[in-house]
Amino acid sequence: MKQEQPLLDVRHLKTYFHTENGTVPSVEGVSFQINKGEVVAIVGESGCGKSVTSYSIMGLVKSPGKIEAGEVLLDGTDLTTLSKRQMRKLRGNDMSMIFQEPLTSLNPLFTVGFQISEVIVLHQDVTKKEARQKTIEMIEKVGIPNAEKIYSNFPHQLSGGMRQRIMIAIALACNPKLLIADEPTTALDVSIQAQILDLMKKLRKELETSILIITHDLGVVAEMVDRVVVMYAGKVVEEGTVYELFRDPKHPYTKGLLESTPKIHERKDELYSIKGTVPTPANMPKGCSFSPRCAFAGDKCREQQPELVQVNSGQKVSCWLHEEGEVSLHEQKQTAAT
Amino acid sequence: MKRYLIRRILQVIPVLLIISFIVFSLVFLAGNPVALMLPEDASQEQVEALTESLGLNEPFYVQYGMFLGNAVQGDFGQSYRYNQDAMSIVLERLPQTLELAAVSMLFATIIAVPLGIWSASKQNSFVDVFATGASVLGKAMPNFWLGIMLILLFSVNLSLFPVSGRGSFMHIVLPAITLGTAIAAEMTRLIRSNMLEVMQQDYVRTAQSKGQKDSVVTYRHAFKNCLIPVVTIMALQTSSLIGGALVTEVVFAWPGMGQLLVQAVNARDMAIVQACVFVIAIAVIAMNLVADIVYRLIDPRIKYD
Amino acid sequence: MSVNISAQTEAPREEEFEVSKRPNQLRRWAKLLLRSKTGTIGMLIVLSVCFTAVFAPFLAPYEPDAMNAANINVPPMWLDGGSSAHVLGTDSLGRDMLSRLIYGSQVSLIIGVFSVIVAGIIGLAMGILAGYYGKWIDNLVMRVVDSFLAVPNILLILVILGIFGSNMLTLILVLGVTNWVIYARLVRSEVLSLKERDFIRAAKSIGTKDSTIMLKHILPNVFSSFIVISTLSVATTIILEASLSFLGLGIQPPSISWGYMLSSGRDYLATSWWLATFPGLAITFTVLGIIFLGDWLRDVLDPRSQGRK
Repeated sequence: MKQEQPLLDVRHLKTYFHTENGTVPSVEGVSFQINKGEVVAIVGESGCGKSVTSYSIMGLVKSPGKIEAGEVLLDGTDLTTLSKRQMRKLRGNDMSMIFQEPLTSLNPLFTVGFQISEVIVLHQDVTKKEARQKTIEMIEKVGIPNAEKIYSNFPHQLSGGMRQRIMIAIALACNPKLLIADEPTTALDVSIQAQILDLMKKLRKELETSILIITHDLGVVAEMVDRVVVMYAGKVVEEGTVYELFRDPKHPYTKGLLESTPKIHERKDELYSIKGTVPTPANMPKGCSFSPRCAFAGDKCREQQPELVQVNSGQKVSCWLHEEGEVSLHEQKQTAAT
Repeated sequence: MKRYLIRRILQVIPVLLIISFIVFSLVFLAGNPVALMLPEDASQEQVEALTESLGLNEPFYVQYGMFLGNAVQGDFGQSYRYNQDAMSIVLERLPQTLELAAVSMLFATIIAVPLGIWSASKQNSFVDVFATGASVLGKAMPNFWLGIMLILLFSVNLSLFPVSGRGSFMHIVLPAITLGTAIAAEMTRLIRSNMLEVMQQDYVRTAQSKGQKDSVVTYRHAFKNCLIPVVTIMALQTSSLIGGALVTEVVFAWPGMGQLLVQAVNARDMAIVQACVFVIAIAVIAMNLVADIVYRLIDPRIKYD
Repeated sequence: MSVNISAQTEAPREEEFEVSKRPNQLRRWAKLLLRSKTGTIGMLIVLSVCFTAVFAPFLAPYEPDAMNAANINVPPMWLDGGSSAHVLGTDSLGRDMLSRLIYGSQVSLIIGVFSVIVAGIIGLAMGILAGYYGKWIDNLVMRVVDSFLAVPNILLILVILGIFGSNMLTLILVLGVTNWVIYARLVRSEVLSLKERDFIRAAKSIGTKDSTIMLKHILPNVFSSFIVISTLSVATTIILEASLSFLGLGIQPPSISWGYMLSSGRDYLATSWWLATFPGLAITFTVLGIIFLGDWLRDVLDPRSQGRK
């Protein structure tokens, strides 16, 4: 289903970390698209490369990490070919980012007002007064009352939820086309989580921003996402709309993730958990990287790496089980159990 | 703020009391100084009379009490060599020592801040290896030896700077480099390791994600945060800075407190020694207080009570 | 029952710190050392200086005090007028520089090591007392620590030596007595955090004597940071001793000290530069080695410093 040009088109992205103990391929050929106005989530366990993917898009991968190959097209421009200076012009302006830890993501020595206006002054041609006015508008926009007073507060005077709102204000101050949110609610109280998600949903409509959410929380996914990219050990294993994915996960890993999330209407005595852990680069299996933990793995899985293939209109999966036409996992499971 | 300051100043009192006790005990153990104060041909009666009038026959605690009473008024007795109030002699020399310390500190800061930041931002580069190596070498070299080597090179061989003394700007160059090198070595190391830590912080990443220039990220966001531990630790080093200044002064015959003190110790001019110790102790304590206030000004998280 | 209890309280101690003196540990340490370039260099320098000090009589080509009026201020062999008889030249009394430098290592090492031991013992005792008992003892000790911090070390040492005169023993004692503060502060803060740890609480709760807890449980746990500080402190003490000799209050002749050699060489700066230069190089070289070794020890022993350099 070809549409107009996607806002973000990541193609075969590879980001490696060259450490003293060898090269770690954190992101190993990841491809996905985000269309204008769309909310996409990357989900996966910690260490699967989802954060590194987002830093690669922003051009914030720190040494010894390096983008080895692939393209990151934002509105048709390949970000990996831009100079540092050109990247700086985009960062905070066309695309911006919020992080997991609101407690440490704000500089403790500057007022929150300064930290918001900093990005406005940087990218827009405004006077100091206008920047201040705009900052106060942004503080109000993210739902903090008393904006005038908050402007001159320091981060330590605000709660975690408030600080995350300030981070959102910084990220959206220049009305970016793309917002990347790296685990935006993980560090917050449950009640605050919902508020922050609501705020992001509201602002997204208002500002027509596309959002890439990095998360391992399927609750967040169900709440606000259009499409989901599932990553495992540096690769995309499945991609689909949220509806398709929740209703009919194709990859055994996705299925495992879904089953390990508690649901209120089907109480179980014991929660499902995927056995084993994410393989380290040193003992990466030869074939499908999920094969050692997969209940359905066959000889082929252990030998050859499957490709990401389209299985129906919106869903892609990288699994040998789906190579020869669609097979339901439910049936597979029964055969495997017997 | 006021209350905090008052409390800090009150904490100083026991410290000064302990110092006074230690110094007084040492001088007391040194024995009767009267013989030094009188001409060599003084009679036994004259010695006894002076001993009596100085109260040196009294028991330890009475003498200590007297010493404290006078010390509070800034009176540490007469220097027998100068026949003058010891405190006023010391205070005459204080500005010269402060001048040397300040210029050295300036020199060290000019060297250490860029070097520390640069080597932290380019870890394992040539600059970093150079900076780390130089700072270890600066620590390993005896300060006075560096001074002598500078004299050998710049005064004896190249005749660029005067060998010793104080007067023109040229006079302060070598002593300031000597003392400044020691400070710079420590400062560079501190700034480097703290910058490395700060550069890993989330707020630095936030600043980068705003599209801010590397130089602004480094100086505005990272360096300001790195200043807090650096200022604190440098203030704790004030005392060794002054110690270094004392030795440097002797190397270059710089007419400050260090030279005065070494001469006084050799001549057993205890009034001057005691006055020096107190002035230096108060200077160190004052520096720590100033540093404390400075980093409270930098860091809004610290409250004053 | 009592046997059981003591076994239980011993157990965590062994887990907390594995003091590595067993032979198979030696190889592990050697491996760790070789992995660090500066650590290896430091160890080599320190070993060679120790070797020089111990075997000085065999290494020195001349008696260090042998004067020769006909042969004064001879330059090093590679300069005009130098000869291979005196590799590093001779001083103003015609004594062989190399021999004097070799013997000078003895004084530096003896004073450096022993004064650190004195300082360490005082500091360790004060730190443990202050940290463990807290309250007024802590207050008193910390005020004394503050007082010592407010007076530059060298100043206090000058005053004491000025009054009592200086020889090897007083020098060691004075350097020790003025240097204990850093140990006290370190040990106190370690003890404060250790005190809240479970194995100390367990020991306390079963009524172990305070002295036993301090000696058997706390002392071994502060050991590694103690070793690190001590090593680096030997370096600063050697410099301090040289400074005192330079000021005329250190080791007196006929003992040979690098600092004294340096300061007497200063008078001949215009004509015989090597007299002041070589002793300074010897000090720098030795101190550099100790700093390298100490930094490596810190990286290896102190988990908190990992990742930082």
